[in-house]
Amino acid sequence: MDMNDSQYIEASREAVYAALNDVDVLRKCIPGCESIEMTSDTEMDAKVTLKVGPVKARFSGKIALSDLDPPNGYTISGEGSGGMAGFAKGGANVRLEADGSGTMLYYTVKADIGGKIAQLGSRLIDSTAKKLAGKFFSEFSKNVGSS
Amino acid sequence: MNDQVKVDEDRAERVEKLQGMGCKRKRVEDVRFTQGKGNYVDDLKLPGMVFGDFVRSPHAHARIKSIDTSRAQALPGVVAVLTAADLKPLDLHYMPTLAGDVQAVLAEEKVLFQNQEVAFVIAEDRYIASDATELVDVEYEALPAIVDPFKSMDDDAPILREDIKDKMEGAHGPRKHPNHIFEWEIGDKEETDKIFAEADVTIKEMLVDHRTHPSPLETCQSVASFDKITGDLTLWGTFQAPHVIRTVVSLISKIPEHKIHVIAPDIGGGFGNKVGAYAGYVCSVVGSIVLGTPVKWVEDRMENLSTTSFARDYHMSTELAATNEGKITAMRVHVIADHGAFDACADPSKWPAGFMNICTGSYDIPTAHLSVDGVYTNKASGGVAYRCSFRVTEAVFAIERAVELLAQKLDMDAAELRLKNFVKAEQFPYKSALGWEYDSGDYHTAMNKAMEAIGYDDLRKEQAKKREAFKKGKTREIMGIGISFFTEIVGAGPSKNCDILGVAMFDSAEIRIHPTGSVIARMGTKSQGQGHETTYAQIIATEIGIPADDITIEEGNTDTAPYGLGTYGSRSTPVAGAATAVAARKIRAKAQMIAAHTMEVHEGDLEWDVDRFRVKGLPEKAMTMQEIAWTAYNSPPPNMEPGLEAVNYYEPPNMTYPFGSYYCVMDIDVDTGVAKTRRFYALDDCGTRINPMIIEGQVHGGLTEAFACAMGQEIRYDEMGNVMGASFMDFFLPTAVETPHWETDFTVTPSPHHPIGAKGVGESPHVGGVPCFSNAVNDAYSFLGAGHIQMPHDAWRLWQVGERLGLHN
Repeated sequence: MDMNDSQYIEASREAVYAALNDVDVLRKCIPGCESIEMTSDTEMDAKVTLKVGPVKARFSGKIALSDLDPPNGYTISGEGSGGMAGFAKGGANVRLEADGSGTMLYYTVKADIGGKIAQLGSRLIDSTAKKLAGKFFSEFSKNVGSS
Repeated sequence: MNDQVKVDEDRAERVEKLQGMGCKRKRVEDVRFTQGKGNYVDDLKLPGMVFGDFVRSPHAHARIKSIDTSRAQALPGVVAVLTAADLKPLDLHYMPTLAGDVQAVLAEEKVLFQNQEVAFVIAEDRYIASDATELVDVEYEALPAIVDPFKSMDDDAPILREDIKDKMEGAHGPRKHPNHIFEWEIGDKEETDKIFAEADVTIKEMLVDHRTHPSPLETCQSVASFDKITGDLTLWGTFQAPHVIRTVVSLISKIPEHKIHVIAPDIGGGFGNKVGAYAGYVCSVVGSIVLGTPVKWVEDRMENLSTTSFARDYHMSTELAATNEGKITAMRVHVIADHGAFDACADPSKWPAGFMNICTGSYDIPTAHLSVDGVYTNKASGGVAYRCSFRVTEAVFAIERAVELLAQKLDMDAAELRLKNFVKAEQFPYKSALGWEYDSGDYHTAMNKAMEAIGYDDLRKEQAKKREAFKKGKTREIMGIGISFFTEIVGAGPSKNCDILGVAMFDSAEIRIHPTGSVIARMGTKSQGQGHETTYAQIIATEIGIPADDITIEEGNTDTAPYGLGTYGSRSTPVAGAATAVAARKIRAKAQMIAAHTMEVHEGDLEWDVDRFRVKGLPEKAMTMQEIAWTAYNSPPPNMEPGLEAVNYYEPPNMTYPFGSYYCVMDIDVDTGVAKTRRFYALDDCGTRINPMIIEGQVHGGLTEAFACAMGQEIRYDEMGNVMGASFMDFFLPTAVETPHWETDFTVTPSPHHPIGAKGVGESPHVGGVPCFSNAVNDAYSFLGAGHIQMPHDAWRLWQVGERLGLHN
């Protein structure tokens, strides 16, 4: 699965970058996120419930941040397993550019998806990913705006 | 004269009453099927029965790092969780396949295809079992997957089967690579290469008969019940070959064969999917032995489509050489056969590529060479004969597409090219370049009859006009005329070349006449919907003069039925049907002795008359079969043992070779890719016709499955090895809405070596239908320079052809 898009956020690059590293913000913004804990400066454990078409699964996985370049961006990658429902592995490159009073956030996502989610939900994965990204950013904009 | 009319009328009346061979007897099994009173495996309910369900791999290729069953075992209602670690001490973590390989029952160190069985959870009900599968924690380390069979033998390809990686001698000879299964070749390579080098005209094309699945409506399932007191194991299951299953279970479980009772009740379609032995069967048996209670296992739809035997996946590089005048001089074929993770093909053991060497088809091709490389990939195992005799659909697809490509190259009419190259009626029995002896045929008669019925010349004229109109932009529709002329090879088979794991491929019938003249007969085959209860009774009715309605046919219980190799590859009529006729004739011979003794005449003075023996010249002096039956039990001739029954185990002297001539007329909208079948005409020659109505039903069903395969049905994998065709959302199963109207016809060329001249028909329409549809599509696009278009021909793919050809500008 590949996805490239961008999102305008009404906040400075520094504020956006800080929020992207803040587990409390991420917990609130990631759709279906049950928990997310820092295990080191650049690593987190997360539990997320996802529904793709007819398959609903609870993923637990590890997230790592790399290529840290504050406040220009980073790479976030992770892999998670939903047991019988399948697994996902992938990452996103995030790049922040100043745009007037706010920030343009560009992201490039590449993910491999396997198991039942891929079998049953293959035709729904792209649209589901877009929908989840949309939810994340509307929530993220709200949180960053208020912080 | 009036007397003669009376005699004839009386005779005709008695013949009609028999409902024997040649009459459109209604299917007796439909009385229960149409009222919902069939008795399938899942209808079985036994006291204390528990249910099993599989934990399956989400990965196509991965190492298993750990399996933790503790959370599943803690769930109330779960009675056991089996893993490879439990099966290994019993030597049951691998089972033998029909192809001489072994297959993991539960994965031990690695998983090799997505949805592979990893653990078997047994619980008090099906829902608890299913819930508990999600509580088994399996830790995997993902490995790169091989999806493309052409990459299996690359130098840097990951080794899939670590269990046999050092075993470079496989069941069918040396292996060239750890992911290689076998190489099989036949024919004269040197001579073939020479003819190709000197030929006027040659064609070469990679023809792909893509991976699909038989997808019977009833999935695979079993119930095992082990009696700890007596040591008896009863196994009910969806078995196309119940006796073979009993032998295999005995060999792998070490339970003596007489303590195993295999029962195949009503089966809701098989089409090759229910020939093999599956992990579910083994796990239900082990579960029942461990627990001492009956264990039921029922596949769901996704499990059926993604784990139990697939079909096809043959990648056939096909070449023909010919003279400028259109006489085919040689054929050369090399196949890459994708068998998935384990070689679980259901072919006779000596034939790792099935009867692929029937690929010279209906043509008198003097020289040919065929080689096949079987390879492992990270896909489900199988390679079964989906409604065809072993790999015959693939073979017929290769030759029938190749002949069309040759006609195009020669700029010759495709029907004319076929007529020019057919084996002629006077050449039978005909020995083919790749080793088969065709028993009988009359191809020119069948082809000419079909061409006339479809109005071939007029269709070509109409097509020429439509092509002109298309070029002028007056229509967006193109017309295709599909032809296929197939020769099948069915009825496996003679023991000199056919066995399964050493068991010769005979079949059997046992007929017992009761004192009042009604009958029970049992066969070694097993109907999955073919109508055996109807047709076998018709054979017996004609042979011994007892009405079919007074004859019960029973199959599927290994305790009562004689040993047989089961039903697949259109072998029931050619083999068990022959056994039935021979057993019936034994009974008639004994009946004749009884009648002669009772009427005090010499046996030679009697003549058989429909349902009785009559004294020649004294027409009123006769004994009916019913009267003879009573006499046989109660006052047999002195020195003759009482009773009237017979058994025959029939060893066929040759295969049978049904053939047919099919035509398809198709209209395709180039903008949407939607293909409409305007007409489909199928002429079949299956030799003697036992029940024309059942034949027609078989032809309808086979054509519908051919339509499915050619026009959309596919088990596709993405590059990670995710199976993309594992539900009816993606897997095309035609309903009445999509299915075209079928026109059927026939000629009759009886098999010279079969007791009643019958050849088998259940699979012909599938074998002949697939290339006919594909030829229609290819013919439609041929004038646009499309080249060979691979199946399946769904609207999306045909739209892409239009894009490629620049038709959408």
